[in-house]
Amino acid sequence: MHTVRASARWIRADLRARRGQALLTVLSVAGIVAALVAAATLLEDGTNPWRGLFERTRGAHVWIHTGEAPDLAALRDLPGVARVAGPYRAAPVTLTLGGRKSPVALREASADPPETAAPLVRQGRWLRAGDAAGAVVERSFAEALDLRVGDPFPVTALSGSSHPLVVVGLAETADQGFYPEWTPGLAWILPETLTRIEPAPGRREVVTGLRLADGEDTLPAVHGAVTLLDEQIRRMSTWREVRASMELDNRLLGLLLALFGVAGLVAAALAVANVTGGRVLAQTRDIATLKSLGYTRGQVVALLVTEHGVLGLAGIALGLAGGQLAAALTLDGLPFPPLSPLPLLAIAAGSAAVVLVAAALPAWRGGRTPPIPAAPAAPLRGRLSRLAKLALLVRLPPALVLGTRDAFTRRTPAFLSIVGLAVPMMMITIGLGCWATLDDFLRHPERVGQAAALTVHPGRLTADEAARIARADPEVRAVHPGSEVAALEPEQTRSVLVRALGTSGAPYPLVVAEGRMFAARGEAVAGQGLLDLLGVRIGDRVRMTVGGTPLIVRIVGRVVEPDQDGEVLSTGLDTLAAKDAVPPQFHRLVLTDGADPEAVRARLLAASGQALEVRRTVNPAERLAVIRVVIVALTAVLALLGLANLLTAGALGLRDHASDLAVLKAMGLTPRQVAATLVTGTGLLVVLGVAAGTAAGASVVGGLIDLQGHTSGVGAGIGRTPPASVLAVAALAAIGAGLLVTLIPARRAARAQVPVTAR
Amino acid sequence: MDTPPVISTVNLVKIYQDGGVPVPAVRGVDLRVEPGEFIAIMGPSGSGKSTLVHMLGGLDTRTSGEIWLDGERADTLGESAWALLRRRKVGFVFQFFNLVANMTVADNVELPALLAGASPREARERREQLLGALGLADRAGAAPAQLAGGEQQRVALARALANRPRLLLADEPTGNLDSRNTRDVLKLLGQVHRDGQTIVLVTHDARVAGLADRVVSLLDGQIVDDGALPASRRRPRGGVGDVVELRG
Repeated sequence: MHTVRASARWIRADLRARRGQALLTVLSVAGIVAALVAAATLLEDGTNPWRGLFERTRGAHVWIHTGEAPDLAALRDLPGVARVAGPYRAAPVTLTLGGRKSPVALREASADPPETAAPLVRQGRWLRAGDAAGAVVERSFAEALDLRVGDPFPVTALSGSSHPLVVVGLAETADQGFYPEWTPGLAWILPETLTRIEPAPGRREVVTGLRLADGEDTLPAVHGAVTLLDEQIRRMSTWREVRASMELDNRLLGLLLALFGVAGLVAAALAVANVTGGRVLAQTRDIATLKSLGYTRGQVVALLVTEHGVLGLAGIALGLAGGQLAAALTLDGLPFPPLSPLPLLAIAAGSAAVVLVAAALPAWRGGRTPPIPAAPAAPLRGRLSRLAKLALLVRLPPALVLGTRDAFTRRTPAFLSIVGLAVPMMMITIGLGCWATLDDFLRHPERVGQAAALTVHPGRLTADEAARIARADPEVRAVHPGSEVAALEPEQTRSVLVRALGTSGAPYPLVVAEGRMFAARGEAVAGQGLLDLLGVRIGDRVRMTVGGTPLIVRIVGRVVEPDQDGEVLSTGLDTLAAKDAVPPQFHRLVLTDGADPEAVRARLLAASGQALEVRRTVNPAERLAVIRVVIVALTAVLALLGLANLLTAGALGLRDHASDLAVLKAMGLTPRQVAATLVTGTGLLVVLGVAAGTAAGASVVGGLIDLQGHTSGVGAGIGRTPPASVLAVAALAAIGAGLLVTLIPARRAARAQVPVTAR
Repeated sequence: MDTPPVISTVNLVKIYQDGGVPVPAVRGVDLRVEPGEFIAIMGPSGSGKSTLVHMLGGLDTRTSGEIWLDGERADTLGESAWALLRRRKVGFVFQFFNLVANMTVADNVELPALLAGASPREARERREQLLGALGLADRAGAAPAQLAGGEQQRVALARALANRPRLLLADEPTGNLDSRNTRDVLKLLGQVHRDGQTIVLVTHDARVAGLADRVVSLLDGQIVDDGALPASRRRPRGGVGDVVELRG
């Protein structure tokens, strides 16, 4: 214990002498830990707003949409059902705001909030008796349309009648996922208003929610409901789908952050090890002095681990706070509970262990320093490395040759410096790959299955008229009729989307990643998400139910599917039963190259006299725009790590060769040549590290993104390697920055008067 | 009762291995240093005098032979045990001062006291007393690099004496100083010796050695001469000192 006070003095003095380097270590470790915390927060179930919403609204686990009101008593007697919400009548209407049409489901609700599945009012107020024109709008839907309390909410019923409603409140619910992943949008109105808007029972549907005693028992309850209601069921959803739809984007982001965080932790460990190792070498004499004063080997190790570990631990503490802040900002406004203590503890303990081990290894070496302060630090290798010999052979300038020799006089630190630079560079390259993939999504949407830029719904026209108007436009290259229906999958526990696009003879240009495109009736292609969901493979037959009609298809290929977590079955219109396929619900328009979708949309609307409903396709990259911010932020942190490694390598090189400088000058080297020697010594490590990192990153990035695509249901086949020019620019920028950082101390050292003394 | 010698070595041998070739540095040295004695070890470069004094302080391991420190056998101690022993009983002064560059003069001097378990107050009082005695009281807050060579060596001396060691080992303490600073440092060594401090000093400078009670001459790792200086050592010129100087 006696050494504590003495060690504290030493640590304080040493940290004061190298504030900048210490700050760099703290900041880079903090950045990495922040990324890890943000990743865990985004990945953790608790961050999914679903859980909080579900609990606060006392939500229902299963929602059943039927044509007529179901037998409530029978539903209540199903196994596991605790309460029943509804039944509520609902009417499909279209909201028209600023020429933009959005489908909305109006659902009746009483002025008294129900016991089960009561929407949570966030702004404004809930419906009051006599609110004949009042509507409470689901919040994500309202945000997407920029609707506020007091705004008009004009809806058009299927009959064509218009009703000017007014938004009185915004509410959140766990009944369905967020708009626009989950359509149609949802709004609540009083029962009498609903009857007024949609008097025809045939055009309405009835929605009933089942709250179960235990959410894990969803399957038996669903089976019971299907058996009971059978053909009455139009579609149904379970809490798992709602939860999945709410977590989609966050999960993708979380995985990316986790990948960067884990690789960054490796880089941070290397940086800490390099900084500690460099410091140990630079302080060999001081450490020897400490030993001559009576420090034991173990106490020296403890001293070094404490000093460098404390910096890392400070960084971890800062990162824990920063990460939670970053996650809060990313999830701006969403009611998510903070990260539960277990993963937070795991991250803190894990990164602390990594940092301490990284500091302990070089510290252990420091502990073995012989206690004779006068002895030279370590005998340096006198012979020329192979690389230096090569440099001599090709008659490079002397500064380069000497620098090349210097680069490898200490093998282990040189190797660690190279790896320490290569790991951040690899991650930066992977970040660039993600960037390139997003760019590719935007520039070539047809490669992710979004060949059509516009979708035309007939609106008030017939499908044939709509197709005719679309074909007449000069910038429309192809028109593909299509319909979307919800199908109950074989287990009948949930609905999946069946999308019929084009016909077997003239299919829509989907991107087939495996197998082949459907080419005959009864053939279909599926997204990765659907294959995983059903547990089927290409070549298998699946049987589904569409509105009571069985649909049996053979899956002949897998397509890149950015929608609905990839849980989409695509087939030809001729495969669907005529009742679902004729007339087609919409037409997808493939535009000519360079056409502006907005301009085409305006022309189509004008040509149809505003009768058509024309929507732009939402590109998945637009939803993932926040990833770019993440990539930039992480690149900055990784650059800090690289800088920490570089400064260590530079300081070490300078220290090792400080005494040579006088000799070099005596031999006739100009200060510029001396500086060039020093820059070459460190710069060579920079070049090797950056080149290795870029090559490694470029070779794994495609596979990594495809893996990510697979897990998110989109499916492999989307990964793009950043273009060679971008890679070259990134590598050159990194090398240039590295050389610049080395140049400043090198110039100073070259100009300084170096006394010839023993070390 | 007989007080044991501060240092006693029996047939002390040190052989370095240089690429598999054994290089003997110290070859069978028997040395005895009584309490309060001031011994100068002289010899040309490579005679093994630094190796000998490093072994006496446990900085270097012996190949064979015995080292007794204050009546206790020390050569069998491990590295850590030696470190603990040094804290209490041995102070070192080196040729290149070896002050910890990042720490102030005050911290440098207080470090050994704190290491030995003194409270910060005790350490500060001892430091103030030492620096005051060495005429450096006003430089306590300075960094070592701001001091002249002689001042640095005086700080190093203060540090070595911080724990009132039984034995002060000085390895060429004036080797890096000009004559005026040399004189200052030697005066201080003389003072602490008069206060009863046992000193073993390595030098190749006869004038420095002339300050000692006894001069031990080493050549090729063996003692070739071991003689007490006459009491008139206040005047370094004359007597054995001259002989030594001629021989050196």
